[in-house]
Amino acid sequence: MTEILNILALGLLLGGIYALVSVGLNLIFGVIRVVNFAQGEFVMLGMYGALAAQVALGFDPYLGAVLILPALFALGCAVYWLILRPLQGEPMMQIFATFGLLMLIQNAVLAATGGAAFSVNSSLAVGSVALGPVQVGTGRLIVLIAATVVTGGLAWYLNATWHGKAIRAVAQDRAAAKLMGVNVQRVYTISFGIGAALAGLAGCLLAPLYSMTPQIGINFILPAFAVVVLGGLGSVAGAYLGGFIVGLTEAFSGYYLDPALKHAVLFVVFIVVLVVRPQGLFGHAGAEEVGLREDG
Amino acid sequence: MLTRRQFAAMAASAAALAAAGRARAAEPLKIGAVNPYSGGMALYGDEVTRCYELAAKQLNDAKGGLLGRKVEIVRGNATSAQEGIAAVEQLVGRDGVEGLIGTYASSISNAASEAALNYGKFYWETNALAAGLTERGLPNYARSGPSSEDFGKRSVEGVLDLAAKRLGKDAASMNVWLEHEDSAYGTSIADAQKRLLEEAGVTVGIGAHSYKAIDVTDSVLRAKSAAPDLWVLTGYVGDTNLLLRAARDQGFAPPAIMSVGVGDTKETLDALGAEFLEGVLLVSYPRADISEDYGPGSNAFLELYKAEFGRDPVAPQGMTAFVGAKMLFEAIEAAGSTDFEAVMAAAKAMDRPEGSYETGYGAKFSDQMQNTRAAPVIAQWQGGEVKAVYPTAAASAEVVNLPRA
Repeated sequence: MTEILNILALGLLLGGIYALVSVGLNLIFGVIRVVNFAQGEFVMLGMYGALAAQVALGFDPYLGAVLILPALFALGCAVYWLILRPLQGEPMMQIFATFGLLMLIQNAVLAATGGAAFSVNSSLAVGSVALGPVQVGTGRLIVLIAATVVTGGLAWYLNATWHGKAIRAVAQDRAAAKLMGVNVQRVYTISFGIGAALAGLAGCLLAPLYSMTPQIGINFILPAFAVVVLGGLGSVAGAYLGGFIVGLTEAFSGYYLDPALKHAVLFVVFIVVLVVRPQGLFGHAGAEEVGLREDG
Repeated sequence: MLTRRQFAAMAASAAALAAAGRARAAEPLKIGAVNPYSGGMALYGDEVTRCYELAAKQLNDAKGGLLGRKVEIVRGNATSAQEGIAAVEQLVGRDGVEGLIGTYASSISNAASEAALNYGKFYWETNALAAGLTERGLPNYARSGPSSEDFGKRSVEGVLDLAAKRLGKDAASMNVWLEHEDSAYGTSIADAQKRLLEEAGVTVGIGAHSYKAIDVTDSVLRAKSAAPDLWVLTGYVGDTNLLLRAARDQGFAPPAIMSVGVGDTKETLDALGAEFLEGVLLVSYPRADISEDYGPGSNAFLELYKAEFGRDPVAPQGMTAFVGAKMLFEAIEAAGSTDFEAVMAAAKAMDRPEGSYETGYGAKFSDQMQNTRAAPVIAQWQGGEVKAVYPTAAASAEVVNLPRA
C-alpha cells in the first residue's frame, strides 16, 4: 500500500512540475498559435537568473523570482515584437525562428558559463515532509503548490479582468476581437511576455531541484509539449490536468514497467489521445490548427 | 577487391608522393584534435584538448618538437558523430594535419576514426571508453587510456576488495544494485560490471534511466526495494546528481554508494554538499593527487597546468589526455614518421611498465591496440575533497565512512 501511495505522490509532484512549465507554453500556443521551441530556454534562463541573483545579491531563488519575472516578461515582449511579429504571415518561419532562438539562447549561456553544471540552494527547499507514510520533497511540494496557485491565478485573470477577456477573445477569433476594439498585436505581445515570465517562474522554483546546464531546457520542453497537446490547446484547466496525466503515467510506468520505457509509454498515450481526440482532452474543436489565420 | 587496409595504404602513399616535392622541414607538425568544443560536452572537450596542447608545449620546449618540427594541435569541433566526420575532413583537407587525436565521447570517436582511415591518417584515442572502439580492429586506431572494461573491472574491485571487506560480507552474500544511463556509455560499463560481479557470485540488480530524465525517483524507489549493500551509479553529471538528491529525499541510504565516471567534481559537491557525499566511492581517471610513487610526475603536471591556465584542472580526464598525447609523441618519434601504419607498429612495440606516466599507466598495446596498462583509480569524497584510496599504491588517504553512518 505504501508503495502505491509513494508512486502516486511521485506522479502528482512530477505533474506539478510539468503543469508549472506548461502553463506558459499553453498560453502562447493557445493564443498566438506559435510553437515556441524556445520556451524551455526561458525556463533555463529563469534557473540561471536565480543563480545569478544568489551569487550577486545573496537572494534565495524563490526571492529571485521577484527580479526574474519582470525581466523575462520584458524579454518575451521583445522577442515577440522583434522576431515573431515580422513573421506573422508565415507560421512555418515562426517555428524556425523560435528554434533559432533556442540555439542562440542555449549557446549564449554556454559561452557565458563554460558549460559546467551549477546548483543553487534554497533555505526553504531542504529535506522532505512526511505526509502519512510518504516522504515528499519540500522543494517539489512547493512547485506543486505554485503550479496550482499560478493556474488558478491565470484562470481568474483570463475570466475576470478585461485584459484577460481580450486575450480569450483573440484566441477564439482574431478578426472578431479586432472588430470589438481589441488591439490584437498588443495582446499577442503581452501574452508572449506572460508566457515567458511564467517559464521564468518555473525556472526559479525548479532551480533548487536540478543541476543546471545550458541544455536542460530541452529536457523540460518535450514533455511540456505533450502536456499541452494532451490537455488541450488554450485550455488552462487542460494544461494543469494534462500535467498530472503525464506525471502519473510516467511515475507508474517508470516504477512498475521500467524507467527506461516511461517516455515511450507516455508518447504511446499521447498518440492514442491525439488519434481519438485531436483537440486534446479539454480543448475546443478547431484549436488544433496551428498558425494559419488571416492577418490580425 | 581491395581491403580497407590496402586502400588506405594506397591513399597514404599517393598523398605522400604528392607532398614529397615540398620542403617540409620547417613546417609545424600538425595534429588534429577532434572533440566537442560547443554544446553540452564542451567543458570536457575543451579540458581534454587543453591538456593535449600542454603536452605539445612541454615537448616543444624540451625537445624542440617531433622529428625536428614543432608540434601544433589544431582543433576540430565535433559534438556528434556526423560532425566528427566533417571535422576530420576539414582538419585533413583544409588544415593539413598529419594525424588525429581525440575524443571525449565514444560515438564521435567511432565515426571520426573511420573518416580518418579514409584519408590514411592515424587516430589516437586518449579518453573515449566504449569497448567496441578497439574491438572493431580498425588498422589506424589505438587507445592509450582505459576502456569501459577497465572501468567495469575497477568498480568490481571496489565492490569486492573495498566495500565487501568493510561490510564484513563475502562476495556470495553481497547484494549490489547497478544503476546506469541508457546510452552506449553507461550500458557498456554496466554490462561489464554485471558480468564480472556475477562471476564472483554477487547478487546483482540492474536498472537503466535516461540521462535527460526530469525525474529519477522511480529508479531510486526500485533500487530501494532491492535493499542493496552497495548502489553503483554510472551516468553523467546531471542524472547522477539527480539520483543522489532523490535518494536523499526518499530516505534511501544504502551502506555504500559508488559513482563511476562522474561525481568527482565541484558540480556534484555544490549539488549535494560535503556532508552527504562523505565516503561516496568514485571510480574515475587518475587524479593529480595520486601518490608520486604510483604516478610519477603527477604533481609536476598539476603545477604545469596551474601555471599555464591559472586554476586547478577542471576534470581528471585531463591528465589521461596529457599522458595519451605523450604516448602518441613517443610512438611518432619511434616510428620516424606520421604514417599511420608506422605509428601503430611503433606503438605496438612500446613496452613501458605500470607507473611510467603521471597517471600511473604503463604502455603495452594488445593486438586490438588497447593499452593493457591503463586503469582508473578509486577515490572517495572526504571532507569536501576527492582523495584517491585504491589501489593502495595510488592512495593519498585511508577509506572513511564505509558503511555510511
